[in-house]
Order: sequence, then C-alpha cells, then structure tokens
Amino acid sequence: MSRRSLSVDPPDLSLWPTAKGLAKLWREQWRLVTVGLVCAFFYSGLSLAIPIVIRHAIDSSIAPTNGHHKPLWPYLAAVAVLAVLRFALNFTRRYATARTGIRVEARMRELLYQAYLRYPRAFYDRHATGQVVSRATNDLYPVRYFIGWGMTQGLQSLMMIGGIAVVLFLVNVKLAAFALIAMPAVFVLAFSFARKVMPISRQVQQLKADVTEAADEAVVGIEMVQAFGREDDVQARFAQKAELVRDGVLRQARIEAAFLPGLLFLPTLSIAAVVLFGGHDVIGGTLTYGEFFLFYQLLLQLVWPLEALGWILSLAQRATASASRSFAWLQGIETVPEPTHPTSLPAGALAVRFESVRFSYGSGSEVLSGVELEIAPGEVIAVCGPTGAGKTSLLNLLPRFYDPTDGRVLVGGVDVRDVNLEELRNAVAIVTQKPILFSIPLRDNLTAARPDAPWDEVVAASEAAGVAHFAADLPDGYDTLIGERGVNLSGGQRQRVALARALVAGARVVVLDDPMSAVDTETERHLVANLRPALAGRTVLIATQRLSTVEVADRAVVLDNGVIVEAGTPTELLALGGVFWSLFGEEISAVA
Amino acid sequence: MPSRRRTGLTRLSRYLVGHGLRVALLSVVGVCSAAAPVTALLIVQDAINNGMQAHNRGRLGRDVVIYLVINALAWILQTTLVRGLARVGQDVVLGLREDLFDHLTTLSLKYFSQQKAGWIIARLTSDVDALSDVLSQGLTTLVVNTLTLLAGIVGLFILDWRLGLVALVILPPTFVLTRWFQVRSHAAFLRVRETISAMTAQIAESVSGMAVIQAYNRERAFLGEFDASNDANRHTNTHAQWLNSLFFPGIEFLGIVAMTAVLWVGGHMIASGSLAIGTLVSAVFMLNLVFQPLQELSDLYGQVQSAGAAMEKITTVLDTSPEITDRPGSHRAERIEGDLHIDRVTFAYGKEPVLHAIDIHVPAGGCLALVGESGGGKSTTAKLVGRFYDPDDGAIRVDGHDLRELELRSYRRQLGVVLQDPFLFAGTIGDNIRFAHPEATDEMVADVAQAVGVDRIARRFDAGLAHTVREGGAGLSAGERQLISIARALLADPRILILDEATSNIDRPTEILIERALDRLLSGRTSIIIAHRLATVRRADEILVMEHGRISQRGRFDELLETDGPFRRLAKELKGSEAQLQGGVSDADLQSEPVTGSRASNSARVASSEPE
Repeated sequence: MSRRSLSVDPPDLSLWPTAKGLAKLWREQWRLVTVGLVCAFFYSGLSLAIPIVIRHAIDSSIAPTNGHHKPLWPYLAAVAVLAVLRFALNFTRRYATARTGIRVEARMRELLYQAYLRYPRAFYDRHATGQVVSRATNDLYPVRYFIGWGMTQGLQSLMMIGGIAVVLFLVNVKLAAFALIAMPAVFVLAFSFARKVMPISRQVQQLKADVTEAADEAVVGIEMVQAFGREDDVQARFAQKAELVRDGVLRQARIEAAFLPGLLFLPTLSIAAVVLFGGHDVIGGTLTYGEFFLFYQLLLQLVWPLEALGWILSLAQRATASASRSFAWLQGIETVPEPTHPTSLPAGALAVRFESVRFSYGSGSEVLSGVELEIAPGEVIAVCGPTGAGKTSLLNLLPRFYDPTDGRVLVGGVDVRDVNLEELRNAVAIVTQKPILFSIPLRDNLTAARPDAPWDEVVAASEAAGVAHFAADLPDGYDTLIGERGVNLSGGQRQRVALARALVAGARVVVLDDPMSAVDTETERHLVANLRPALAGRTVLIATQRLSTVEVADRAVVLDNGVIVEAGTPTELLALGGVFWSLFGEEISAVA
Repeated sequence: MPSRRRTGLTRLSRYLVGHGLRVALLSVVGVCSAAAPVTALLIVQDAINNGMQAHNRGRLGRDVVIYLVINALAWILQTTLVRGLARVGQDVVLGLREDLFDHLTTLSLKYFSQQKAGWIIARLTSDVDALSDVLSQGLTTLVVNTLTLLAGIVGLFILDWRLGLVALVILPPTFVLTRWFQVRSHAAFLRVRETISAMTAQIAESVSGMAVIQAYNRERAFLGEFDASNDANRHTNTHAQWLNSLFFPGIEFLGIVAMTAVLWVGGHMIASGSLAIGTLVSAVFMLNLVFQPLQELSDLYGQVQSAGAAMEKITTVLDTSPEITDRPGSHRAERIEGDLHIDRVTFAYGKEPVLHAIDIHVPAGGCLALVGESGGGKSTTAKLVGRFYDPDDGAIRVDGHDLRELELRSYRRQLGVVLQDPFLFAGTIGDNIRFAHPEATDEMVADVAQAVGVDRIARRFDAGLAHTVREGGAGLSAGERQLISIARALLADPRILILDEATSNIDRPTEILIERALDRLLSGRTSIIIAHRLATVRRADEILVMEHGRISQRGRFDELLETDGPFRRLAKELKGSEAQLQGGVSDADLQSEPVTGSRASNSARVASSEPE
C-alpha cells in the first residue's frame, strides 16, 4: 500500500478565489467598513461644497458682478462650519479604514500561524524559515494597505472625480472639456510609475539582503579573515555588493525622476487651459471670478484622487498576489491526518515495533527499505550506522513527524496513526539532532514540555543531563535568558538542555537523535554514567556516532542502506567485525 | 548627544568631498525649483489683474505662455534634483558603508567577542539603510518641501504683505500641531517597530522550533504567545493610525482656516479698493504651497530621527579604535622560518590573568601540543601566537622578532589556523579552499583537495569542488567542514599553524581522514595543536599540560605517560569510556606506537585482541 504524500507546496490561487477570500475577511469587519464608506461619501460632498460656497462668496460679496457687495461673513461662517464637519468626517474615515486594514492583517496572520502549528514536517522541509515567516509578516502589508486604505480611498477617489466633473460641466461645459483633457494622464502616469518602480524596489531589497549576507559572513567569520590576513579580499567583496545596492537605488531614483515631476507638471497644463480660456470668458463676461476660482480649486483637488487611483490599482495587484499565496497555503496544505476513532495507548512502559517500514521523502529515493525492529518495554536500544543510513528518518517516524510510505510503526501495540496525535506525542519525547531552544529563561526551556513539572524533577533531570553543571555558572542561574538577547549557549550545552527537557517531559518513550554529538568527550563520559538511571523504566532509542554513547544501551542495531543489518549487544557486535566494528572498532584501535 | 550628532554630521560631510560642485549646483537647482511654483502663481496674479480685469487679451496669452514655460522648467529642474540628490546621497552611503566595514575588519577579536554578531551586522545594514532612505528619497523631499514652504511664505508677502501677515498668524498653531504630531508619531512609530520585531521574532522562533513545539504538544501555549504579540502589534498600529488620522485632517482644517482668514481680510481690502481680486485669488492658492509641504515634512521627521539614531550607533563603532595595529616602524615579515618563542607571557582578558608568565620555545618546524582542561589557557596561548591579542607582559617572538614589530598582515599571511568549528563562506567548496590564496589555480586547488581527502566529499555532489555551500557550511558535516578548512590551510602554505580542537566532535571514520590530512599539513611547519584526542597529540614533539594559566607538565608523549602526573590522569579520563567497553585498557596500551603508520596493521591487531 503506497500512500499519497501530503501536498506541501500548492500553486497560488487564481484571482477569483483570492478576491472571494479577501471579501470574506473584509465582510468580517463590516461595521468599520460601513462607517468608512459613509464618511468617504459625505467627505467627498463637503470637499465639493466648500469651494462652491467660496465661489459664491467671491461672486456675491468680494467681487460682485453687479457691484453690490453682500455681507461676507455668512459665507465664511458656512465655510468654517463645513470645515469642522469635514475634519470630523475625514478623521473618522481614516481611522475606521485604517483599523479595518490592521484587523484584517492581524486576522490573516493568525490564520496562518494557526495553520503553521498544524503543518507537517514535510512542509518545513520544503520551505525556508525566512519564507514562512515573511508570508505571515511582510507579505501581508500590501493586503493591509489595500484594505486599510486602497479600497475606501479608491471609492472616494471615484466619487470625487465624478463629483468634480459634474460640477465643472454644470458651471461651464466648454471650459470643463478643455481643463479636463490632460487629467486622465495623471492616472496613467501614476499607475505606470507604480508598476515600474515596484520590481526595482524589490530588486533593491534583494541587493540589500545580499549586503546583509556579506556582512553577516564577514562578522561571523572574522577570525578566519584576520587569521589569514585576507581583509582586503572581504572588503573588496563587500564593496562590490554595496555598490550594487547603490546602483539599484540610483536606478530607482531615475525612474522616480522620470515620473514624479511629470505628475506635478500635468495638472499645470489644465490650469494653464483654465487661465487662458477662462480668462477670455471672464473678459467676455461669460465667466465670473468666483467660477474661475472654482475651476482652479477643483482642478487642484482632482490631482490627488487621480494619482491615488493609479497607486491603488498597482497596490491591488500586489495585494491580490500576496493574498493568493497566503490563501494557497491556508487552503491547499494538508495537515497530519488524525484518526477518526482513536485508540488509546495502554498504561505502563510501552513496547515499540517497526513492521516492514519503508519510507522516502516525497519523490526522493527510498531511505528506509523494510525495517523490522522490536523493542521491549523499558529497553534501551542504540541505533547506529554510517551518515545517511536513515537513522534520523527512522526515529522521526515515532512522533509522526512523518508517516511511513509502507509498513507500520507500533507503540504499545497500537499503530501510531490510530492514536490521537496529542496523546502519542505526550507519550513520545524526542531530542532532535540539532537542539532547538527557545529565547526564554533556561528554567522555562527545561519545563517547555511539561510546564507543571515539580522543580525537584527538573533539578534531577538537569543533573542527569549535565545541565546543573553549567547552570550555576550562568549569570542568573536557571533564570538566565537563553538566545540572541540573552546568553548564547555552546552547542554542547544546548544539547544537554534539550536532553534534560526530554527527561522532564516524563514521556514513556524517549527518542534521542545523536544527543551528545557536540558535547566534549570528557563531559560525555560523565553524562553517559548518569543517563542510564535517569532513563530507567522508559523505552529508549538512541541514534549515535559515538561508541561511548552506545554503552548506555542494552542492545544496538546497525542501520545500513535503509535496512537493519546487525543487532546485538555492543560487545557481540564488535566481535562480529562487520559494519558496527568498522564504525567504532577504529576508535578503539586508534588509541589502544 | 548633540555633540555626538554633530560629529556624525561631520563624518557624513566628509563623504561629500569631491562632490562640491555637484552639491553647489544642486543647491541652485533646488532653490530654483522651489521658486518655480511661487513665480507661476505670481504670473497667475498678473493674468487676473492685468489680463482679465484690464481686458488685455494679449497680456493674458503672454502670461499663460510664461506660466507654462516656468512649469516646464520646474519639471526639468525637479528631474535633475531627484537624480542628483540620489547620486550624492548614495555616494555618501556607499562611502560610509565601506568605511564602516573596513574599520570593522581591523577591530580585534575582543571586540567581536564582546559585541553580539547581530548587533554589529545591524550597524552595517539596517542603520546604513536608514541613512540611505533619508539621503535618497528623504533628501529630495526635505529639500524641495522646506524650500517650497519658505518660498510660499515669501510669495505671500510679495503678493501683499498684509495677507502675508494674516497667514503668519495661522502658521504658529500649525507648526505647534505639526511638532506635536512629529514627536508623538515618531514615538508611536518606534513602538510599532518594537512590536513588529517582537512579533516577527516570535513567529521566526516558532517556525524554526516547530519540531519541538509539535513533538511536545506546545501548540496552544505558542498560539497564546502569538496572540499576545499579534494583539500588541495591532494596538500600537491602531494608535499610530489614530495619530495619523488626526493630523492630516487637522492640517487640512487649518489650511481652510487660513484660507477663510485671508478671504475675510482680503475681501474687506478689496471692498476698500486697496487689493486686486487676482492678488487675493493667488494668495489663496499660495497657501497650498505653505500647507502641503508641512504634511510631507511630517512623514519625514520620523525617518530623520531614525537616521540620526542610526548615525549615532554607527559612530560608536567608527570611534572604536583597533587594539591590534601596526606600530610605527614595524617592518614587513619576509618568509619566516617559524622559530617561535613565547617569552614569559602574561595575559588577562579582564583583571584576572589567564596566563602567568608562560615560557615556551618551539624550534622552526617543531610541533607543540597543548592539552588540559578547558579554561586552562590553551586557546588564549594560540590566539596570542596569531596576534589576536597582545601580551600584557612578555613577548611573542618569531625568528627572534617581537610580533609587535612585524607588520600585522604580512605576518598573518604566513599563519594558518584551523578551528574547532571551521567557518565556511558562501561560495563553492573550491572557493573556500582558495580563500587564503585567491590566486591559486584550479589544479592547485584540486591537488590540495586530493591530498587531504576533500575530493571524496566533493564527489558526493554533482558539481564536485564547484558545489556551492551555503554560509556556515550547512549541508556538510562537521568533519567535512573540518577537512575543507584543513585544505584551506594547506593551500595557504603557512609557516606557522594553529590547530585549535580541530579534531573534536567528529565521527571516527572522518577523523581518520583528518588525521591523515594533518600528517600532510604539519610536515615542515611550526605547529601548535590543541586537542583532546590522544591520537592527535601524540604526534607532537613536545606536549604541554596547561592548568589555570600555568604549565604543569611538559615532555614527550611517552615520557609523560610514564610519569605519574596530570597528563596520565587526563589520558586515563579521555580513554575511560572506550576502556570500559574494552574491559580495561592498561597504561601500557596507551603507549603503543603512533598511528601515523599503516591503519591496516592497527586494525588487524585490534581485531585479533578482541574481545575478552
């Protein structure tokens, strides 16, 4: 029976389902959206009303055509009132809309994060950490700006453009036609600028990332650089990367120089038309000064909505592109299948059994080709084998990081696929090859697997795993913060913490994947002596490259080319003179 | 703080040298392009007053032509300005970035051990980028808008000084609002940045630690943490947006207030006949030139603040002076023989000395091994030989010269270092081997690779030696990286070699390869080996046991094993674990012949004596 491997890299969604997904998130915020749209509508109206009132102030009071000056203050008072109203509307619209965007962004991020927690290991094998992180952070910004600004601003722009056009044509059809000729070009220019500049700014980001990499490399490798006196070479390499960034930014500046001043120039063509043709009309008596002012002012007010439409259109493209990627992950990635009718694990120590287990990663060649292995409850077994023999792959099947492509893995006599995932993982503790600690205090790292563990158990585990040995020397003992912002532990120390954490977990099956590879030989010796009693009563699988670690085990098996080729006590295996001997025999011969 | 900021600016201005003409020209262009819209409005005023009102169609036509010409000129000027300022800004940024990097490479290892790598890298990247943003886009915005703002005020006064005064009454509250917003919004921006980076860090940590989260069923706890940081980010963002939503409509409102005031006063002046309608209309539009730049400049304030903070941090790095430098009068090290004398050297990282008057002599071509518990001063001794630190007392002499009299780089180029965790650079395996000898031909690289067994690693990959390794050497085992670093040292053909725990933490089959490679590497050079493995140290001409910064025992391998002392205890301990399995290894077993000979004979012997 061959199982279909889980899909972990689905294609991006097409436009329509993406738009539907976004619309759904948008609708969740319908209250804010409505407030924003209503405010946008009235804001547009007021923005037209104010210049119209001023126009009447000019025509009736300041420069009346009939020479009879009406009082000015009622007009200006009206303008003041409208301005206050407009302020309130503008504030409400901006704030409501921005909050919509922020909420949708936070919501999408939460959906992604929740999904990340459920995704299988294969997903993390396929996608680099940086990509997974940026999809839940940077990639969401276009979505946020589009929803939190673009949608409402776009509708408002359309209302403004329509409103202004209507008013201008009502006042003077011919002049409106002349004045508006150049304006659509503003939209086109803004849109094509946004289209042109985006790829370049992405390029610049990439070039900056290259500089970061070069800097990182030189700083981390500084001892090598200085030791060989190769400062010149690294400097030249870095300078080259830095120059590429400069060139990229200058390319971007050239595009800006080609487009942005044009956006300022185009409206002046319309203004010139108004001054020229409107001026003639004023002289001819068919246009008042108030109307001239209105034309001038509304043209100025038209520029931004047109530009904004250009930006928004390009923003919409980016937003849907990034949303389509996020939705593709949310909808297309299968999580580890859980049993519909889970079986419980039996009480007490658990036996482990691999039954003709075959396994391969996706389309790759087979890593395990029929592993048969039975481990008695409470037995400690060492899994040995040359690099690439499949040790890690075998161990990773126990907590269901992966499922076998064929055969079964049984814990306590139950197929692991029939056990509730949480129950299984409670029963199986794993120490991965590369120890993973979190940037939290040492104490919390130790209890990460069981936060309510009694402190004396934690201390006992720390003693057994050799953490107590160095914990006392840390600045704040067990409360020392671990990680970039705190203390960086050495590789060996990290492994010991990971080991202690697994012991604290209290799991009945403990899986140790080369748990002491970075621990120095002296310390390892102390550890090995302490480890055995600490593991008493648990079923243990240890993968290792070192003979001294094999000693902990009751029995060792040798994995080679995906099958178990040797099994027995370490002494028996050495005597056999086979693969096991070739792995460890020379370790003895080298010094003996 | 202000003084530091000034030194930051002086530093930046240094990079303008050679750009003098360009900067002067750009200043002129900037002033002209800011004056353009003001002049254009003065023309509009003329068109209304002397064209429309005076019924002078010719004058109207002429004014419109001038208006268009001015704006076309402004177009060209702005294009020039955007490009020119970007050029100047980027050259400054490039100069600064290169200098900063060059300076960093001269700083001593002590600096790098005290500062976290992430911190240093942030200076080279995000800090310089913050400056870059201000100097490329920001500079244009700053220059254009500041000048436009000033030109707008001047323009108002040119139109009519009384209207200018009216506008000046409205401006102070506007400036107060702008200032308030700038300060608050910058603070808000910083909080947003903090919550974003906390959130990103939380996500990144979850993603890279997902195996553990899932293995230990910690999903709910991490989701809780995530929700907290996601919410915090939402709140800071909402607050920042609240400020934004208040400020921009506020400026818009004040603009209308100014307009109303100008219309009110102007209206009465027109009624009394002391103002022309065209002047009033132009003044209303001129107000736009004053209020719009305020909005754009507010956006910039945060950027400028961040750039200022960035420059301060960069300055602290540039102000750190390298501890290890060439002294005046130091001379170039010609090919050295390798006679090494560590002459009564005392050294302390802080107050407590870690080396107490150590005295060691290694003749040219000799091999010295340093053993002992960690913290005994072995690595420090090696680092002093590499002149990563200078001794507090005593001297390191090579061929009789104090290292401090030798030109640093000329000495180090004759030095080879192989560290416990060898660092590989992003590039091919071949590039990494060639690192210390970039001129080496492909054949030389291939020869060296073959000599130390790197060719076997390379064969694993389709591209062979041209296989690209990622930074740090991901995808290669510790032993494989070690072999590559040995090949690197061999190609460099150093006169003095330092091996610091080069054979630890490596699985046995690879270690055998490395031991063989070492035979090749060590021959004919002076070498210092720090090691835990007996197999590695037994090749040494002399072994020193270091304890607490002192030499507690010295001698040849065999002699040391025969004497009851620290070395024998160490040797027993090292061998203890293997010995248990073997059913006990006697001291005599530890004294058998060196391993550099035939491996087969050793293997045969073990096989036959196996097991009890």
